Amino acid sequence: MPYYLKKRIIDWIIHMFMFGLLAVTLLPIGWMIYSSLKENTDILIGKIPLSNARNNVYEIMLDGPDLWVLTSDGGINKWDKNTLKEEDHATAQTMTTHFLLDKQHVWVSSANKHLQKFDKDDLKKSKQFNLPLPDFDKAKVVNSTIVSRQGKIYFTMGYKGFEELLEFDPVQEKVTRRFSLKNKLSPTQIRSLLPYKDKMLVGLDKGLLKLDLKSGKVEAVYNLVQYLPIGIARLRAINGKIVVSGNTGAFLFDTEKGKVTKTLYTGNALGLRVHGDKVYVGTNRGFKLYDLKTGKMQDHAQLFRQVRVDGTVIKDSEFAPAEVATLAFNGDRLYLGSTYGRVSIYNVKDQRVVGEGAARMGHLVISWVNYIDMWRNVDFGLYLRNSFFICGLAMVFAMVFATLAAYALSRFDFPGSKSFSMIILATQMVPGIMFLIPTYSNFVKLTEMTGFPIKGTYYGIVFVYSAFFVPFSIWILRGFFAAIPVELEEAARIDGCSPLQVFWHVALPLAIPGIIATGIYVFLQAWDELVFAWVLTSADTMTIPVGIRNFVGNYQNRFDLIMAAATVATIPVMILFFMLQKYIVKGLTAGAVKG
Amino acid sequence: MFKKWWKRAVKYRVAYLFILPTIIGMLILHVTPIFQGIYMSFLDLSQFTLNQYLAAPFVWFQNYYDVLINPNSPVRIGLFEAARNTAIYTIVVTFGTLWIGLLAALMVNREFKGKGLVRTLFLFPWVVPTYVTGILWGFMWQKEVGIINILLKDVFHIVAEKPFWLIGPNTLWAIIIPTIWRYWPFSMLLLLAGLQQIPEELYEAADIDGASPWRKFWMITWPLLKPVWAILILFGLIYNVYAFNIVIMMFGFGAGFPGEWGDLLMTNIFRNSFMQWNFGVGTAISVLLMITMIIIVNVWFIYYRKAEESTK
Repeated sequence: MPYYLKKRIIDWIIHMFMFGLLAVTLLPIGWMIYSSLKENTDILIGKIPLSNARNNVYEIMLDGPDLWVLTSDGGINKWDKNTLKEEDHATAQTMTTHFLLDKQHVWVSSANKHLQKFDKDDLKKSKQFNLPLPDFDKAKVVNSTIVSRQGKIYFTMGYKGFEELLEFDPVQEKVTRRFSLKNKLSPTQIRSLLPYKDKMLVGLDKGLLKLDLKSGKVEAVYNLVQYLPIGIARLRAINGKIVVSGNTGAFLFDTEKGKVTKTLYTGNALGLRVHGDKVYVGTNRGFKLYDLKTGKMQDHAQLFRQVRVDGTVIKDSEFAPAEVATLAFNGDRLYLGSTYGRVSIYNVKDQRVVGEGAARMGHLVISWVNYIDMWRNVDFGLYLRNSFFICGLAMVFAMVFATLAAYALSRFDFPGSKSFSMIILATQMVPGIMFLIPTYSNFVKLTEMTGFPIKGTYYGIVFVYSAFFVPFSIWILRGFFAAIPVELEEAARIDGCSPLQVFWHVALPLAIPGIIATGIYVFLQAWDELVFAWVLTSADTMTIPVGIRNFVGNYQNRFDLIMAAATVATIPVMILFFMLQKYIVKGLTAGAVKG
Repeated sequence: MFKKWWKRAVKYRVAYLFILPTIIGMLILHVTPIFQGIYMSFLDLSQFTLNQYLAAPFVWFQNYYDVLINPNSPVRIGLFEAARNTAIYTIVVTFGTLWIGLLAALMVNREFKGKGLVRTLFLFPWVVPTYVTGILWGFMWQKEVGIINILLKDVFHIVAEKPFWLIGPNTLWAIIIPTIWRYWPFSMLLLLAGLQQIPEELYEAADIDGASPWRKFWMITWPLLKPVWAILILFGLIYNVYAFNIVIMMFGFGAGFPGEWGDLLMTNIFRNSFMQWNFGVGTAISVLLMITMIIIVNVWFIYYRKAEESTK
């Protein structure tokens, strides 16, 4: 083999090996950031990829030749109603989504993006409206609801204590009216809406509310907790009566008498539709069909394909009972929507499935919410502020004192200089805990004697840090001053400068890069310091390491939050390092190679 | 003699002004505490006597006796294991960081595209705070949900059963590997600077003599890097004997006990001092450790001097 070829092959092997090492080196950091964006349930089952949002079919609507399949992750699927072929698709990437169709737009309400509209003919065209709402904890919003009435859109959100209805004008694109839903059952949570004549019926977690839209007054409230203990999830009107349903059943409600007149179904009623005299109730296992005229009831169960544990649909499996969340009518053909994006066309007369489709997978979930949750659970802002404040001040003080001392050591051959530098080196050999134990008891003792608090204060820990990092800084800085040619200073002395002036005007400017490098190093070290901060800070002056330690101790299994906290603790120093790495690398290597 | 000394002191009197703040700081935070610590190691300091520690009973060498000899003393439980772990940990970590750092330094000390970026990326672990390193690797070593076991069993099928990393003898590796990961970039940084100081002519001359790469490394690179690796070994020994953050944060995220294969002297002292309030014993172990370190460092210096003289 020729020499140069061999050399190139070896070089290539080294190159590959180097990138392998680089990958291994960076993997833990990448894994930390990646895990902080995952859902904890995925971490706990050891799943590596990010999860897709659940694409349960939430609403199915027929609109001319099109079938709209709307899923809980904010997915909007426009299908041909006969072939179930996808014609257009968009995703709103929302939480607790609700949909509404009008002539030109698909309206999407959600907890995190309030109100969005998508153009029916081109779903890429969309617009978002931020509504004037209080700052919710979005994870606690149960549902959002929109209905339309006479060209206006009514929007509300299910959040305990939020009792308002917003009237949104789609033409002017702004909120035109706000209704207060305060009632005698307050505080309540709004679950569903139904425009009914010139009234608005509002399903609450405790009952049913009748709002007069003209006067904006609450007309009546009916307590239905005995029928629907956690609220009215769905509301429909039929023959002058109202059907209310929730997780305990579906009931016929007479608004004039103000009470439930008939129980239609007991059990979890997921979907509710009315058609003529018939009431369709979607349940956990298929759907029920009631004929109010004849009082007959039919049960339909074999509607959907089965699903594997990981959520993929098994093709050609037997039809089995599954949740029916929504349905739409087309004569005898019913369009049924279920979990995992499953859609079936069902012929009620023949009692068989005549077509099926599947909505797209949900969007990948990147859980930024971990950071919000983490921030909500711990006072991370305080820790960050404390860390920046304490480490920054300690760095400044340590640099001032170390620069002075290092200059003195490198330029003046004063008596005691040798033993001074020996002591400085010797302090590095003493375990930090050796300083900590007496310092701790001294602080406690001093406070006891003078009543002057030191432990748990800013100046206490800043003093400890500054003094603690001075010896090492002197050791590095001495090399920088030694590298500055003496002749410059001698020339200045001859020109009549005092030693202080020489230091200030000649030596100091030349040593600035070294001081910056050492300063950053000290800052990184102080940022990293756990033991002293653990013992010497209090709840108000706690730095990040101590705060994180307390936090992760309380959230042992919330790896997502722990990794989010770890990332937040790392990012500031990483950015600092990345910006100033030229100084650090140059400074530290210069000091070390000479030392 | 004294006159000369005094003259020098007067001539450089400004120097004392310069070092004065440092001296005050060190007196309060370094010198006094050391003597206090040595004094405290002779006291019976428990949670009962801590508040009046100036009046605590002086027990002479009782603490040292308890730590070193007394077979019935509770403070000795786990102390031998901690010392053993610390010794293994220190040596493996110090030389591991040195060798991996050297390997990486040699690899990045070549000409290739994106050299600067690769060097910077290699340095990233060194910026990750040590307590984060502990938390992060504590998470990665988890038996069921940790990425390491997932990679070993589910992805690469190297092992049949997921091993425990944070319980049993494996613990020692579980604390050594993250420490090496955290510190080798720094070794690389210094060694790379050292490599760049070696004149190219030496290698060219060796090439003319037909020296093998292996021989070139041992005859040129290694001896000329001596000032760097000498410092790295010295500071590696000191820092790793006093290692604390990574280990304390890895087990129960700062709340747990590292176990008999993960406990180090520093975590042991910290537990004795700040969790069981046995300050006397804590300082006694610290003093013993300090003496050991001073001996080791001196031995190292003597060896280093000798080696230096023999090369001259």
